[in-house]
Amino acid sequence: MSANGRVLMATVDLPGSHTLDVYRKHGGYEALATALSKQPDEIIDVVKRSGLRGRGGAGFPTGTKWGFVPKSTEKPKYMCVNADESEPGAFKDRLLCAKDPHQVLEGTLIGSYAIGARRAYIYIRGEFAEEARILQAAIDEARAAGLVGKNILKSGYDCEVTIYLGAGAYICGEETGLIESIEGKRGEPRLKPPFPALVGLFGCPTVVNNVETLACVPHIVKRGWEWFAAIGPERNTGPKLYGLSGHVNRPGVYEAPMGIPLRTLIDEYGGGVPGGRPIKGVIPGGASCPVLTGEEIDIPMDFDSLTRAGSLFGTGTPVVMDDTTCMVRAAWITARFFAHESCGQCTPCREGCGWLQRLLWKIETGNGVERDLDVLLSVTDQIEGNTICALGDAAAWPARGFAKKYRDEFLRHIREKRCPIGSGSLH
Amino acid sequence: MATVKVKVDGREVVVEKGTNMIEAGKKAGVLVPSFCYHPGLPVVGVCRICLCEVEGRPKLVAGCATPVEEGMHVITRSAKVREARRAVMEFLLIHHPLDCPMCDKGGECTLQDYTIMMGPAHSRFEFEKTTWPEEDVGGKLILNKNRCILCLRCVNLCKEVAGEDEIAVLGRGEETYIGTVAGRKITNELAGNIADICPVGALTSKDFRFRARPWELQPVPSVCTLCSKGCNTSVGYHPRRNEIVRITARENMDVNQWWICDRGRGGFHPVHAPDRLTAPAGRNGTPGSAPTSWKGATAAIALSLRAILTRHGQTSVGVVASAELTNEECFLTRSIFRDTLGIPNLDFPARPQPPVVYKQFTIEGDQNPNTRGARAIGIAPGPQGLGLADMMRAAAEGGIHALIFLRGGPLDRFGDPAIVARALAQVELLVVVDSHPSPVSERAHWILPGVSFAEREGTYTNSKGRVQRARKVFTVRGDTREDWRILQDLGRALGAWTTDDLGPEQIFQRLALAHPAFSGLNYTVLGEMGAPLAAAKADVAVG
Repeated sequence: MSANGRVLMATVDLPGSHTLDVYRKHGGYEALATALSKQPDEIIDVVKRSGLRGRGGAGFPTGTKWGFVPKSTEKPKYMCVNADESEPGAFKDRLLCAKDPHQVLEGTLIGSYAIGARRAYIYIRGEFAEEARILQAAIDEARAAGLVGKNILKSGYDCEVTIYLGAGAYICGEETGLIESIEGKRGEPRLKPPFPALVGLFGCPTVVNNVETLACVPHIVKRGWEWFAAIGPERNTGPKLYGLSGHVNRPGVYEAPMGIPLRTLIDEYGGGVPGGRPIKGVIPGGASCPVLTGEEIDIPMDFDSLTRAGSLFGTGTPVVMDDTTCMVRAAWITARFFAHESCGQCTPCREGCGWLQRLLWKIETGNGVERDLDVLLSVTDQIEGNTICALGDAAAWPARGFAKKYRDEFLRHIREKRCPIGSGSLH
Repeated sequence: MATVKVKVDGREVVVEKGTNMIEAGKKAGVLVPSFCYHPGLPVVGVCRICLCEVEGRPKLVAGCATPVEEGMHVITRSAKVREARRAVMEFLLIHHPLDCPMCDKGGECTLQDYTIMMGPAHSRFEFEKTTWPEEDVGGKLILNKNRCILCLRCVNLCKEVAGEDEIAVLGRGEETYIGTVAGRKITNELAGNIADICPVGALTSKDFRFRARPWELQPVPSVCTLCSKGCNTSVGYHPRRNEIVRITARENMDVNQWWICDRGRGGFHPVHAPDRLTAPAGRNGTPGSAPTSWKGATAAIALSLRAILTRHGQTSVGVVASAELTNEECFLTRSIFRDTLGIPNLDFPARPQPPVVYKQFTIEGDQNPNTRGARAIGIAPGPQGLGLADMMRAAAEGGIHALIFLRGGPLDRFGDPAIVARALAQVELLVVVDSHPSPVSERAHWILPGVSFAEREGTYTNSKGRVQRARKVFTVRGDTREDWRILQDLGRALGAWTTDDLGPEQIFQRLALAHPAFSGLNYTVLGEMGAPLAAAKADVAVG
């Protein structure tokens, strides 16, 4: 572990942290050399044992995902790096791409080697133009140093890495939407099964991994799965980047172990709420995660704890809201985002998200009636579980969460026929 | 073929491995509703109305996209499924204009049917609906996006069947819409199928718009006669107006699957052409034709023809038949003129054109619907008989004194137009049987008004050797007769047909006895979908 005790963010504060020199000075690409000297199966096994779960939101065990890729196939295999970080509240992958692109690249190469891919695509959201430029420079540097391209580190293993810039759709962060987008099609999630591990990019076996997930991999290879598995609670292992935003004194990306109490994160890392105001609610892991009330934030930040609490860990990027926040407005802003980002392919999401947005705006502007709240909850039920991808659920959960947990505030809007809080500060 | 045994709502059924829940349901007699699923198009799974429950699984699955597995129990009659369907129906209707009373699809609209079957009667959506203007997207289609449920059938039909990206899904979220790409129009000749398969009234046929309500129509199974493919069609007949108002595709997996081309779709227009030949006419050597009676015309023709046969012999007469005639009529033609009267000069014009090949559908090059039948029955010169070109030349040079055309057409259809014109001017007797005027009928001494495909019963043999029935739809006003009746009338007047009028079915029985290629076939065997010629059984394949 580095002097500052951090793993993923060990060098991000150093000048030139994005360069190959600095990365190598701190042990960069040693893990790649180690990995290339082993069998791909050994790497998959190590990652499995480490307990690493996907950092893109779903928390699927990474090693298991790699293990689904068929060994005996004539087809090429692909690694896709999901750098389409687009959910409101999430901005941790951006830091890795900008400040430590080689760490991402090394993880990508190890992952590609493990699944037998000879080409990796880094799908990065279009708005991250600068990060894409930095990543491209890192790829170029790495290629010049024999770390990307033909015969990597003279191991005989070839791997090309290509950056693909998205065009501004959140849905392209859904793994099959991402694949469609790389194929040059509309960003629309596919019907599953088949899953990408069998039929993915260009019809070939494909793994889609989040940036931070892959950034963990070199450390697991270098330090061993036991080290990684010892960090954090059981089944929720490893270091984690937390993107803290909203009403905190020091918003930003912080590294802490999985399972850190949310309150610790807000108070100690984020420096508490400005003016010491009470916390009204926290969206724990990006806009799709149901809100936690101020009373619910004594909770470990990990996949299982948050799921048990009726919310989601998501990408681990809490948005803190103090008592000046109008929760109806917050719900509306969230709903507006999902309505705007729904691909429009399947009925419940396309029609339901727009309806939710309208209902919430009606209530927020003082035009709501009590029945609207029932319709709102019913519409979320009608979306959930009935769609092709998880965006429908992602839109339904937060709306339901806000409406249920802050029912009184919703009713006040309806009875007073106005927003009792003012316009709020979350826009 | 590997099969699996599954249960749908408790009903056990054995289906081919890989069958989806909708098809398995069909087999079990359970309706799994669907909008976007079409057996001829790729599965997109977007409408979500087909959500089914699988025993033992927590989440509902899309019936269209989920193959059934051995031992699976698919449940469609649970509260959960009912609720999901109700939800989808409610969602689909929130922006829908509910303008069924003025929508052309009303009466045959899946959305309307399902709403009545299972939809909520009231909407809880109280906001302003999104509206879009109507749009001409080409392909004789009008797009009304207000009614669109984005099932993508139109997009996939163009993409997968026609192989053209002329219409696409654009925008996203609730502003997703169907549109033409960059101001282009749909130009492929399969576009009319979109109106057939659009499950709502979003894409309707310009040709059919506001012309009739579907329930006023009597669908009559027919076969398209515009090329040798023999697409199965359904003719939409409006009994009150005695009019055909549309032609739609009729599924036949061995011929046209679910599709027809736009030429065939518009094939009813000539039936109602204002210039139809509607009464027998003769001109007796003077220009301009005068109406006459059938009896008078047939008697006069028989008299002239008899005289010519007596004076100049059997080789002095030429019979230009047509592969637009039915098998029955081809049989009568051959029996009367070649076999009984001994006229050896018998032929029919070929009408080749380049075929139009789409990704999954070919409009065939042979414009005759019954070339294969005409050949099998022997519409061809007898011993020492002349073929079409020689016949025309001989007539132009005075060697042939009488010509009988069983269908007219432009002069160049029958050979060098200059020679044909000379031939037609030269002969002593020119008889034309046709439904429409043409340069040939204009020159005729006698015109006998035959009828279109829609006004007579008969069978056609398509290019693959499949014999198919086209039903009589109706009778057009006027003094026309079916071609099979005209041929028998003429035959009787000539003493070459001694039987009473036989109907098409009886003629077909005789045909099947006389021509081995047709043996074993009769109208019952042909049924609605046709059957291959004995000789073609081996090479009749799907498509």
